[in-house]
Amino acid sequence: MSEEVRVGVYICHCGTNIAGTVDVEEVTRYASTLPGVVIARSYIFMCSEPGQQLIKDDIVKYKLNRVVVAACSPALHELTFRRAVEEAGLNPYLFEMVNIREHNSWVHPDKVQATEKAKDLVRMAVAKAIELKPLEDIKVEVNKSALVVGGGIAGLAAALYLARMGFMVHLVERKPTLGGHTARIPFITYLGVRGDELVESYVKALMAMPNVKIYVNSDVVLLEGGAGAFKARIRMRPRYVSAKCNLCGECEKVCPVEVPNEYEYGLVRRKAIFLPFEKAYPLLYAIDMEACTRCGACVNVCPVEAIDLEETEKHEDVTVGVVILATGFDPYEPEREEFGYKLSDRVLTLFQIQRLLDERGPTKGEIVVNGKIPKTIVFIACVGSMGVGRKAGRYCSRMCCSTIMSCALKIRERIPDSTVFIIGRDIRTYGYEEDLYWKALEGDVRFVRYDEWPEVRVTTEGSIEVLVRDVTVGEYLLIPADLLVLGVGASPGKYLKEVLKVIRVGCGDEGFVREAHLKLRPVEAPTEGIYVAGAVTGPKSVVESITHGMAAASRASSILSKDYVSAEPMIAMVNEDLCSGCLVCIGMCPYNAITTKTLDGRRVARVNPIVCMGCGTCVAACPSGAMQQQGLEDRILLAQIRAFSR
Amino acid sequence: MSEGYEPKILMFACNWCSYAAADLAGTSRMKVPHNIRIVRVMCSGRVDPQLIIEAFTSGADGVLVTGCRIGDCHYIEGNYKTLRRIILLKKALEQLGIESERLRLEWIAASDAKRFVEIAVDTVERLRKLGPLKRHFDELSRVIEEVRGIE
Repeated sequence: MSEEVRVGVYICHCGTNIAGTVDVEEVTRYASTLPGVVIARSYIFMCSEPGQQLIKDDIVKYKLNRVVVAACSPALHELTFRRAVEEAGLNPYLFEMVNIREHNSWVHPDKVQATEKAKDLVRMAVAKAIELKPLEDIKVEVNKSALVVGGGIAGLAAALYLARMGFMVHLVERKPTLGGHTARIPFITYLGVRGDELVESYVKALMAMPNVKIYVNSDVVLLEGGAGAFKARIRMRPRYVSAKCNLCGECEKVCPVEVPNEYEYGLVRRKAIFLPFEKAYPLLYAIDMEACTRCGACVNVCPVEAIDLEETEKHEDVTVGVVILATGFDPYEPEREEFGYKLSDRVLTLFQIQRLLDERGPTKGEIVVNGKIPKTIVFIACVGSMGVGRKAGRYCSRMCCSTIMSCALKIRERIPDSTVFIIGRDIRTYGYEEDLYWKALEGDVRFVRYDEWPEVRVTTEGSIEVLVRDVTVGEYLLIPADLLVLGVGASPGKYLKEVLKVIRVGCGDEGFVREAHLKLRPVEAPTEGIYVAGAVTGPKSVVESITHGMAAASRASSILSKDYVSAEPMIAMVNEDLCSGCLVCIGMCPYNAITTKTLDGRRVARVNPIVCMGCGTCVAACPSGAMQQQGLEDRILLAQIRAFSR
Repeated sequence: MSEGYEPKILMFACNWCSYAAADLAGTSRMKVPHNIRIVRVMCSGRVDPQLIIEAFTSGADGVLVTGCRIGDCHYIEGNYKTLRRIILLKKALEQLGIESERLRLEWIAASDAKRFVEIAVDTVERLRKLGPLKRHFDELSRVIEEVRGIE
């Protein structure tokens, strides 16, 4: 650039957040002495309206062509200032931000050291800014369609509302049926409806929409591109049973393999060929190939020739503008013997007892344990939550207290001479669900509060005793129980890690997916165009998951309603004159964004700007310096590094 | 080593994990040694050996390269490429007369501010023991020119 470089440097006080530790005036004075700097100023809040105006006015007054702001983390205000300089007529990528708050004033108590560090960082940033060149955002045409991953209640809600807004929706579910855990909840607290009926109403509405395509027994195996134009590959695993199936059930009778039925949370067993549950969508049998021995008995008895054991998986590629991740949770699985788990038939989880209490469940709602109607029923709350349990997280699972109350009330209603204990830490029937707690108290349910983990003793005959220290009286109680229910909470989905290898979204410490910002950008993933909904982000009730799903749909529509979105131009570009065609870069690219083209008879690398995500790994590997990352060229980073020492 | 010696450290941080962890250390008001200056890149995979050598010649006593944990990389496997590169570069550094301990590669999750602080403290401690980097600049630049010539 032949034009003279004119840098403006702005140091933010951030009230006393920065100025309390950094001598802002000293840094400003120092910045004004740096080569290329025309003006350096400080201001109490650079991000405020007047702060931004100060920069805009200076750009005009001093003909600035580079702007450096030393303030907070760029994660907070890089976009704010880029927009401000753009409004003053300067290319937004001629702006550089210096983090002197999170990385400096907030972590260093010593004023002299913090001031020296701020000076160093500003010097490095000015050196970098001088090398910056104007860049144009990449314009991406928006595909007016969405990929919703996960067919539980959050995914269904998101899919339905996007479809109703008129967008094409591809809904992908790993299991052979839609509905997730919600479909197996017999009574949804507060809503007062059955889970399967709730799911049914969503699914029916979705099926009536021409712009919805549902893929069950499927998963997403590849996702590339960005907001507006994601390319996804959907793998449709074989079901081995076609739509010709008339549900006669002959196959199930002859199938020799029995495994625990995961749709009843292992409460009963099922065959290798099975109907997930009464209201499954689609209502078709499916074969679990992990269990199947390929004996062929089912094929022989099927009267409509619906079974094909040779069916293979298929793939479908779709291009979508947005992705909504709603893969939900899995119940906490206690370790064997933890609170007596799996030591006796009389120990059930909260998810199992709900199946047992379901009028349409395996026992038609009859509560029979070991052939007898239990008289003393004990619930232990918080198993798998709040640090109770060997693999438990520290979070509260939100859904369990209310569910325990509902179950306890049902049991009291159906077995009037029963005694029900709820051993809990804190009872968190928050919001309107507190009503259930009142009803439980009125319904003679007995509450015991614990702090030490209760001890569960299982005798060789299988009878159970729970030893618990009652906090309120400070005494140990020994409760013999006919039925023990572990109030298990929510854990991150079993397959979540696998899903996240394809859909790149980060997790928090507890293993749930993190939203970009809980208050400023909820339901959004940090990556533009990817949204997260439901219990995949942490424990949620059914109602909350629906709200979350709809919120994600609504946020996603902010992209889908546009014709174009712009993407940051920090992508790799090839200097074709320098490229020798060695193609080391191709092996580096995790996105297959690099291909080749022929230029004057020689082979050179070519970057697909839509697919490139801008990591810069190919740049670091290029031996000739032909591959460069826009905005982070070697030239720019080297200038910043060379300014490390004054 | 000389009393009161403060090593100068240049840290490359990836936008998604380690930079965010350093931010979190700030918002959590943790105490971090003042010796570190962070250069932000999008991915640790962008950190070219050339940049690291430049940092040493530009006055750094130590260089920290940081990225997302293996398997958590925002760009799928950029950090894995970094790992391979750093292993090789450490060997080359010894030949340039720079102790390989001066280059350190660490994975820091965005939520793990504590780990960022621990690594920062430990790196300063180790470099204090090593003392200032003895720079044979003429020698070094001759070797670098040679290396560039080979490329």
